[in-house]
Amino acid sequence: MEKYFPDPESLLPLPVATFHILVALADRDRHGYSILQDVAARTGGKVRLSAATLYSSIRRMLEQGLVAELSESPDPENQDERRRYYGLTAFGRRAAMAEAQRLTAMLSQARETGLIPKKL
Amino acid sequence: MNDARWLNISERWFRMLTRLYPRDFRDEMGEAMVEAYMDRVRDVLKNRGRIHLMALWLRALIDSLRNGSAEKARPAASWRRAGNWGRDIELVTRRLARSPLFAATTIGTLTVGLGMFAIVFTAVQRVLIDPMPYKDPGDLYYVWRDYGPIADVTRGALSGTDIVELQKASAVIDGAAGLRPMLGGIFSLREGGEAMEIAVTMTSPNFFQILGISPAMGRGYTAEESGLGPGSSHVIVLTHHLWNRLGANPGIVGTVVRLQGRPHTVIGVMPPDFNFVRNDAAAPPQRVDAYIPIEERLAAANPQFGGYAALIRVRRDSPPEIVAAAVDAVGRVINERDFAGRGLRLHPVGLKADTIARIQPALVVLGAAGMVLVFMLMVNLASVLLARVSQREHEVAVSRALGANSTAILRSTLLEGAMLGVAGGLLGALVAGWGMKVLVALAPLDLPRREAIAIDWRIAAAVIAIGAFLGVLGAAAPAAWAVRTSLSSLLAGGSVRGGGGHSRWRRGMIVAQVALSLVLLSSGAFVVRSFEQLLRADPGFRPEGVLTVKVRTPPEFFPKQEDAIGLQDRVEDALAAIPGVRGVSAASALPLTATAFQVPVTAPGAPGNTGDAERDKLTVDWIGVRASYIEVMGVRLLAGRNFNKARQPGVIEAMIDNGVARRFFPNGNALGSQLRMFNRVLTIVGVVDQARQYELHSDGRPQVLVRAEDLGMRPLFYIVRTTRDPHSLLPEVTAAVRRIDPRVPVGEPRSMDDIVNASRSPQAIGASLVAAFAVGALLLTAMGLFGVVAGSVTRRQHELAIRLAVGADHPRILRLVLVEGALLVSAGLLIGAPGIYFGYRVIRGLLVGVSPYDPLALVAAALGLLTVAMAACYVPARRVLKLDPSRMLLHQ
Repeated sequence: MEKYFPDPESLLPLPVATFHILVALADRDRHGYSILQDVAARTGGKVRLSAATLYSSIRRMLEQGLVAELSESPDPENQDERRRYYGLTAFGRRAAMAEAQRLTAMLSQARETGLIPKKL
Repeated sequence: MNDARWLNISERWFRMLTRLYPRDFRDEMGEAMVEAYMDRVRDVLKNRGRIHLMALWLRALIDSLRNGSAEKARPAASWRRAGNWGRDIELVTRRLARSPLFAATTIGTLTVGLGMFAIVFTAVQRVLIDPMPYKDPGDLYYVWRDYGPIADVTRGALSGTDIVELQKASAVIDGAAGLRPMLGGIFSLREGGEAMEIAVTMTSPNFFQILGISPAMGRGYTAEESGLGPGSSHVIVLTHHLWNRLGANPGIVGTVVRLQGRPHTVIGVMPPDFNFVRNDAAAPPQRVDAYIPIEERLAAANPQFGGYAALIRVRRDSPPEIVAAAVDAVGRVINERDFAGRGLRLHPVGLKADTIARIQPALVVLGAAGMVLVFMLMVNLASVLLARVSQREHEVAVSRALGANSTAILRSTLLEGAMLGVAGGLLGALVAGWGMKVLVALAPLDLPRREAIAIDWRIAAAVIAIGAFLGVLGAAAPAAWAVRTSLSSLLAGGSVRGGGGHSRWRRGMIVAQVALSLVLLSSGAFVVRSFEQLLRADPGFRPEGVLTVKVRTPPEFFPKQEDAIGLQDRVEDALAAIPGVRGVSAASALPLTATAFQVPVTAPGAPGNTGDAERDKLTVDWIGVRASYIEVMGVRLLAGRNFNKARQPGVIEAMIDNGVARRFFPNGNALGSQLRMFNRVLTIVGVVDQARQYELHSDGRPQVLVRAEDLGMRPLFYIVRTTRDPHSLLPEVTAAVRRIDPRVPVGEPRSMDDIVNASRSPQAIGASLVAAFAVGALLLTAMGLFGVVAGSVTRRQHELAIRLAVGADHPRILRLVLVEGALLVSAGLLIGAPGIYFGYRVIRGLLVGVSPYDPLALVAAALGLLTVAMAACYVPARRVLKLDPSRMLLHQ
């Protein structure tokens, strides 16, 4: 089925898990468990997604066109057939960018009003 | 236990957890999810230990519970989000355009069905549901007297003093107006101008305030204009309709017109949308052309003699039981004062409830029939769409294989149904708009709120919405089936076609349709049978070849009784002289018009008396007639004689009907006995069969016929029996009366056949609509059966060809296919049979003299359905005769 996505803004704000997954896929394509590990590592173990949450999110992201499933493993050393690999689409990258801008804008507004100190 | 064992247990646990997700999610993501969990298990076993493994299991359970239920709830949300409606609509339109025959028949069926539904819905909405066009119409009530203890009248008229009493009550009742018909209605625009008959109602001055409507031109009348003193002038308020009939003169307010020869100043004209029918105690609601103030001083009226209807307005939003209590309180006072506490009560009836009481049962029945029809439309649409989806089997399977998800297929199937429904609703509303005009033109003139019955945009919108709803509902089953289609199921089914899931559904729908049709058809048959009974009912007179006209002899023109009688004699002679006239007489009330007065009579010394004075008083219809009424009207004389031309001085002669005779003279010697009506003594000279006043099919109140001349009855209906077409007499009748006295108009020309037809018209309309519904249901069923059998023949071609090849002959194959159809029909008939009784219960109010076991109706319905259904099977089934097994199998 064809999909038309005029504007990534229409997806904002992204759910926290979705944003973490996008970030995890930013530098390279990964399989599911690798995404979980990356998220945990980057956040110092503060965010631990469960596999259940991960795949619920990924399914939605596939439908929205944020990520795509790869037909073959990008890792020549690990060719486990049961593993599925996912990569960021161009649209996913734009959506992540838009979400980042949104968060930045919120942060700077909070700073300007003095709600939080200029440097945290 | 080693790690491998733990891994094994974990994997089984996580696989079990995937059961918490919806199936499509499990198919798509289950493996990957289990794999990711297993990665984590390996991690935990290597680095943390088994306690942490337990924690992981627990957490996975909690997460799966949460995410699983969220996934189950998702389709509704994603339905909204992930759509592209414009593209879907385009695709469906293109698909429909590719099969114009399918689109045309489906939309055509929906148009007819929804059009009929729209008509019924409009009538029900306008008459039963919409508020009446007055200010706060819910606060308006009629008040009637229940004469229970002294006469069999629950909705009886009130006296002038009762109106005054209601006006005095102030707690809940804000105002009360009396209304009564003016007995005269001879109207002309100027003295000596052409006279015409109009219906005039006399009202209390506050009548227009109570309704909350003021005249569009001029004003209503003031309190001073009621209860006229000498020298003050008479005033009249015209309806918009009458004003139009008089030439729509914008300067009419202030001009002086003549009513009964007396000058009346026109002080107002009501607005065009003001339409009031006056409810009458004994007669159907009455049309009004003009209003004049009541001339009697209400407080000085005879409290025993009632001629008024009371219209009250109660304090805003008073609950009905409070209103009833307030009216009852007034009634108690009156009962003590005027009726010696005999228990006569007053009771309020909502203005609308009172107006629509007669028509309500018929409309409720039609509403129910409309609902059943709409339900059948839906089932029919479902079976048609299911057939269509099965033709698209390949398309669906292929698009699924190419990655279309369930939502997309579901949506496109539902959208197709909805678009068909909307198209059908739109056309149906248009058809109904046109059909409604025809129907309203045919409806009886006194149909309550007749003027309000038209289709407006709100009803059109509702019908279109119902169409869309039907479409979606009808498409639900096919859509659910389409979603389950996949390439693999198609390939698996490809070799063995025939059984298939969807055809079982279609069969089920056919059975349902046959059952519903049986209910509607039998109801239709009952209604038709009942109408047939009405057609054959003997009203107690011979209506054919009789013209009736109303001729008044008002006291304004004929102050002396003898002058009025003299004119009546001359009119009778003049009419008798018209060529082709075989007899002339006259009566104060015509049969089937419910216009007779009611009076109490007693028969002192009659054998039927009980000795209890109250119970020996009989309320009868009191009809004045001239000589030879019995012969001219064709009433049957049971004993004694008709009134002779010559009157016996000092004797008031009377004829009684069989009702009075049974009551007072059960042993049959009524002739020569005496009746007493107030202070008059009547001598019975004849006993007749009742010429029915109210309903064609059953006797009404007992009747006493007296000589019109003896009681000085002035407005008379002349009855002219002729060998010619009754209506063709009218110009000669009018001319003859005008020659005798130009001031006297000829009013209300009708043939007795017209009157009989009018009294049948509610049943006629009901019968034709219910019959139309039944035929519509039959057609729907036939279409459905046709489709199922045709589809089955196509699908079973292969199988049938093999049967032919191995020795079956064509008739045998034909029988095979027909038996399949016959089984469906029989199943439907069996299931529908108990429904016949329920259908009968619903329409009972419309029926006259038909039992739910009426053999003719039941056999006709079942045979009709069976014949049509088998024809619908036979036509497509005949295609098997053309099957050529050798070519067929070669082709395969």
